[in-house]
Amino acid sequence: MTNDKKLKLGLFDFTDCEGCQVELVGLKEKLLALSERVDIVNWRLGQAKAQWEQFDIALIEGTPLTPGEIDLLKIIREKSRLLVGLGTCATLGGIPAILDKEERQQWYNKIYGPEYEGRGVDALPLSAYVKIDFLIHGCPISGNEAARIFSDLINGKKLNYKDYSVCFECKLANLPCRLLEKKPCLGPIAQGACGAICLKGGSACYGCFGIKEGANVGALLTILNKFASEEEIENYFSMFHNKSKLYDHR
Amino acid sequence: MTVVLEKSNIPKLTEALSRQYLVVDYEKDKTALSVKGYFLAPREKLFSFFSKTKKLSVRSSPKRKLLLFGLDLADIEALGQLDEIMTKPREDYFYLRKRRNSLIVGVVEHSITMPVATGDLILEKINPSQYRAVSLTKAGQEIVKNKFFKKEKNPEILIYPEEKSNLRELAQDSELLAEAVSWARVKNHPIWEKLEKICLGCGICAYVCPICHCFSMEDEIEIDGSASHRCRYWDACVLNNFSRVAGGKNFRPALKNRYFNWFYHKFVRAYKEYDNSQCVGCGRCQKYCPAEIDIEKVLSEIIRDYEKSLSAPTG
Ligand code: SF4
Ligand code: SF4
Repeated sequence: MTNDKKLKLGLFDFTDCEGCQVELVGLKEKLLALSERVDIVNWRLGQAKAQWEQFDIALIEGTPLTPGEIDLLKIIREKSRLLVGLGTCATLGGIPAILDKEERQQWYNKIYGPEYEGRGVDALPLSAYVKIDFLIHGCPISGNEAARIFSDLINGKKLNYKDYSVCFECKLANLPCRLLEKKPCLGPIAQGACGAICLKGGSACYGCFGIKEGANVGALLTILNKFASEEEIENYFSMFHNKSKLYDHR
Repeated sequence: MTVVLEKSNIPKLTEALSRQYLVVDYEKDKTALSVKGYFLAPREKLFSFFSKTKKLSVRSSPKRKLLLFGLDLADIEALGQLDEIMTKPREDYFYLRKRRNSLIVGVVEHSITMPVATGDLILEKINPSQYRAVSLTKAGQEIVKNKFFKKEKNPEILIYPEEKSNLRELAQDSELLAEAVSWARVKNHPIWEKLEKICLGCGICAYVCPICHCFSMEDEIEIDGSASHRCRYWDACVLNNFSRVAGGKNFRPALKNRYFNWFYHKFVRAYKEYDNSQCVGCGRCQKYCPAEIDIEKVLSEIIRDYEKSLSAPTG
């Protein structure tokens, strides 16, 4: 394959912790294999080369929090054939979206004093501003799942999520069901393929891979309401889904 | 002459067997999963195609045979059913080559009243300290040659009745189940809508079931393009895309229909095709459903209403 036939890929980040890019770097050989097959023309964190021509694929990590970032996102959209969200900040609003503008102002006052005027807007999923072609969820993304999606992408396969919830990998790991132990968990309605990593670490699932298509959120709420307070349930749903439109439980 | 094994010798026996076999001491209460995954893996690469050589290759089987030790009767029965499903009408090469490279040793903690049709060796409890060994195959006879087995003329044989399980009994009446579940569909029994409201669609019931065997296929391509792999993984009726076909059409978009399909396959189609219900009443789906949906109660309700409908005057 000649160089000019390679797909041109740009990787950009807005407000976030950059943990998803760290996961990408952690792909090591697979990342090298990917860089052989695509031309990474812009990646601030990974290389000096930063071109602003057309992109076949733009990966966006994080979510815009300033008007400048929103404009930049729109510019990238115009220049890109495929726009793919990378990580839950980009795909659902994620952690930055836990805080509302008003709440953020209170923290500004506390930290920087009342004179400081924040420019930040509410953190929203990228889809609030531009058309998105695919979402690679995860806080952080799972390197292996992302590699699978990249592979499908460059090999011309239709992009798809795995048709299982977090429960599949949780059961394979032989973990006890939190819900049966009367502890909150979003596993059954959450998109799987994360490897049930949080459950393996002793935590609940907060659904950072997004709510699975067709999930029965109402059924889960019925169960949660049996043993958890409304506030606790709200905490679980607002961890990553405060601003995503994927659920409506209020 | 009766071949017996001292209970206290079981650990020594499995240790001795592990010199020859890959021994898995299956303890039902330590895992939600049945043994089906040893033969129908939750996810596996079936074969690979290599770009350079343009050749297909199937992974080679492990040299040592797998020996599953400690299955109870329900699980042995379930495995027998799975063997049949994977053999008829077409042989599932990938399942059978693993299955044929395995041995099954059952350990039954109650007296056996019906002949056992699957497995290589059955250890049946006959008194507090001994098991009777019944080998069903040549491989089973080989195991019994082990020094831990003794021939005894008149061992003490006590009767240990099987613990009563309503679900196991229910599961055995496959004809009634087939009729009642079909009826509940035709009559649009309210139970399907009730289930649709509470079922999470998580698929755990099918994952933990020792007989559920539906799978999906997917091709995985190496990121460097060097190879692609035909993979299969467990699917489950209740999952959203279970009935999605090429082109994107999903002909069971409602959970109600997918849930019903689980029952229809298990109790109606299975009865027509294999003369069995594909449920042995092992109780796993009952125990591990996060929504606490109890298959025993569901089936009982359907059967109760079906029987009521039979006695009701028609018209
Ligand atoms: S009780 Fe449930 S898990 Fe066990 S065989 Fe029947 S359907 Fe499968
Ligand atoms: S385990 Fe329970 S909640 Fe999950 S799909 Fe099966 S019946 Fe529904």
